[in-house]
Amino acid sequence: MTEFSRKFLIFLFLLLVLSPIFAYAAEIVGYSEPLENVAEMLGVEENQEYEGLLPDYSVPGLDMFSGTFISGVVGSLIVLGMAYGLAKVASRRGDDRGH
Amino acid sequence: MHIPDGFLDLSVAAVFYIMTAIVVGFSFIKARNELQERKAPVVGMVAAAIFAAQMLNWPIPGGTSAHFVGGSLAGIILGPYAGCIAMTSVLLIQTLVFADGGITALGANIWNMGVVNVFAGYYIYRLLSRRGIFLSSAVAGWAGITLAAIFAGIEIGISSSFQYSLMVTVPVMGVWHALLGIVEGFITAGVVSYIASSRPDILEFTAKEVA
Repeated sequence: MTEFSRKFLIFLFLLLVLSPIFAYAAEIVGYSEPLENVAEMLGVEENQEYEGLLPDYSVPGLDMFSGTFISGVVGSLIVLGMAYGLAKVASRRGDDRGH
Repeated sequence: MHIPDGFLDLSVAAVFYIMTAIVVGFSFIKARNELQERKAPVVGMVAAAIFAAQMLNWPIPGGTSAHFVGGSLAGIILGPYAGCIAMTSVLLIQTLVFADGGITALGANIWNMGVVNVFAGYYIYRLLSRRGIFLSSAVAGWAGITLAAIFAGIEIGISSSFQYSLMVTVPVMGVWHALLGIVEGFITAGVVSYIASSRPDILEFTAKEVA
């Protein structure tokens, strides 16, 4: 493993460990984004039936702390694989020209 | 600023799906120039780190807050086309796995955070690059997220559920994210400066270091 990958993994792990703490803190301060605020101002309700596999970064049946952490680990691994795969395919396109 | 289902008119959602599909498709083709194959893992790393960073909602007293978005950061590190691919991956997984952002609004969400934020951030960084890495990436991070928010404001503001209240939605989204975007700017500048000093070869374009 290169020095850069090692540093990256440590950094990623740090973010993931922090995520449940931030989720808890967000709950305490009553976190809401400007988009939600403007929707409330104008009386608009979201209408989202699809919940996803891990609704709102939680694992059904698990407490918030472990649910958030597991969601973070699972999510970053899928994103890592997907972005890497897409980039690899994109970088290879047309590579066989001239072979 | 992930728009959920129910906010956008279907016609608005459709227009942004089409525009996004065109830019993402084009980026996929153009990314080849930015990416030697050895750089593909970096695209994965940047996307994964941005996904994790987006989970950290800033706990600001009073409640109105945001989280890091990272479109400008992705564009600056990877170049706009590969940056667009990284952000598209993040937003797609957030929507499909975590229901963060609506499926109908996915086109608009990728447009805001994966297209506008990435391309605007990248070109602002390039434009200001003579002013040094920290300043140019800070302004790019700030302006990129503010522009993304203004687009989100436009999209909901031209939708019937928001009673076509563009004059409310655009200022609320733009002003709040211009304020919160200062944090985005500092994080972007910190990360770009760190990479520039430790692994400048990773950056798509390195701004001049001002002494």
